[in-house]
Amino acid sequence: MKSLTPTRILAVLLAAAVMVSCKTKPKDEYAGIDGDYVSGVPLPDRQDGASFLGGNVSKGQFATVQFGFDRYDVSSSEMPKVEAVAQAMRQSRNDLIIAGFTDDRGTEEYNRGLGERRALAVREALISKGISGGRIQTVSFGEEMPVDSGGGEAAWAANRRAEFGVIR
Amino acid sequence: MMIRRILALAVLAVLSTPAFSQDAPTITVRKGDRVPVAVTPLGGSSGPAVTKVLQNDLDLSGWFQLVPDSRGSYVIGGSASGGSLQGRVTDGSGAVVLSKTYSGDDRSVAHQFADDIVETLTGHPGIATTKVAFVGTASGAKEIYLADYDGNNSRRLTSDRSISVAPSLGPGARNLAYTGYQGGYPDVYVIDVASGARQRAVSAPGTNSGAAVSPDGGRMALTMSKDGNPEIYVTGLRGGGAKRLTRTKGVEASPAWSPDGRELIYSSDEGGSPQLYRIGAGGGSPRRLNTGFGYNTDPSWSPDGKRVAFTVRSGGGFSVAVMDAEGGNARIVASGQNPVWGRNSRHLIFSSGSSLNLLDLNTGRTTTIVSGLGKVSEPTWSH
Repeated sequence: MKSLTPTRILAVLLAAAVMVSCKTKPKDEYAGIDGDYVSGVPLPDRQDGASFLGGNVSKGQFATVQFGFDRYDVSSSEMPKVEAVAQAMRQSRNDLIIAGFTDDRGTEEYNRGLGERRALAVREALISKGISGGRIQTVSFGEEMPVDSGGGEAAWAANRRAEFGVIR
Repeated sequence: MMIRRILALAVLAVLSTPAFSQDAPTITVRKGDRVPVAVTPLGGSSGPAVTKVLQNDLDLSGWFQLVPDSRGSYVIGGSASGGSLQGRVTDGSGAVVLSKTYSGDDRSVAHQFADDIVETLTGHPGIATTKVAFVGTASGAKEIYLADYDGNNSRRLTSDRSISVAPSLGPGARNLAYTGYQGGYPDVYVIDVASGARQRAVSAPGTNSGAAVSPDGGRMALTMSKDGNPEIYVTGLRGGGAKRLTRTKGVEASPAWSPDGRELIYSSDEGGSPQLYRIGAGGGSPRRLNTGFGYNTDPSWSPDGKRVAFTVRSGGGFSVAVMDAEGGNARIVASGQNPVWGRNSRHLIFSSGSSLNLLDLNTGRTTTIVSGLGKVSEPTWSH
């Protein structure tokens, strides 16, 4: 048994304090800036005339982020795409609109919610990389505007996506 | 001799019961029973047209069996011309049980008369004067259409060539809320049906969709994402005073009002897959309703408060299911999606590919009411 030096006691006490504070925090539930049960950061006000369907937004500049069936988490294999967007945003002052889409295997209104959740998940990933949430809008098109209107696994997988639009 | 006396006493007893001594007929219709009624062709210049609509209404109501004159417990007749219908119903003894004058076009007067007949003879509300709205793609874009409950008289309400979806009719079909993308984002618009005037009611940052107008017509429940996640909110009909009800990390969608406007049932994937939850319209703790299915969306609460209809995904397709409003007793009743209740809590309208269908839950009979307008979806039915 090692001797109890003051520094060692302090280290043990600190570790205990950290463990206690971890335990009292409801697991995984508190997030966001106000400590609310919000999993996200409130969206900024819309910008006049700037929409994903408008002419003042350039699309196709970045690779689309793909999602699993009925899922909205950004998988680790898709994170490099998000990192590329974060890098570009650090070097530019342009704001972003993220549009979320689904395949057509769910019901329409639920898919509008799921598409929005996907767009917000990508926004959260950008925020975690230091980009201000105030620069990022989201929009959901649900199962509208598929990139592949055929059926089958390949088409469904291609349609489950988030696209980036850069506001000029 | 003895037997004849007993028989006479029995007849007397039957004749003196209240059902026979009262003027207003009160008949009890057991499940599956149908009252035999005879429709004699109505007179007047509009007679033939009104008769046809009336017969169809009485047939679709599910309460009646249309029979020849001699076999009807009730005989329905009258005359119609010049935007007016004088309708009359007599019972087997020739006594008049309903006599009323209606004004409006041929279809309208027939529907009004049909609903009065249903209410007078069965005590249940009729569905013939109600309206259905839905999404159709006949024009090449998703637009909102409005029609009579039987699918006739359909007209396109929107012409934005954008994406117009998720309609919800307010009481009496006086107004209609829907989600429109013409501004580049999904926003909730409210149309005054009579004047056609339209107002953008909810245009918060992000996605605003799936608004359901409350039974009293004064509020909307909808999905909004402005606070960073798709959650259920309640607002005024003009979109003001948004109050947030849910707080999860998942997707909340498609809220439906209880008939008394005090509660909502909505879909949430908080537990991993879309399930139905019940919550107070002013907030509180949501309670999960057990359906026994893995994917449950688009709930609709019956006007009698007892049941919930919803969409289930199973295998590669969708089914219409019905269960108790407390959860439990869920069963599949049709192949299709997005069921909505009629105001009699007996019929459902649901979509299936390119058609809208009317389902009588008492008899199991399904009737196609809308087709030929492209892919049709997301019906809403006025009460």
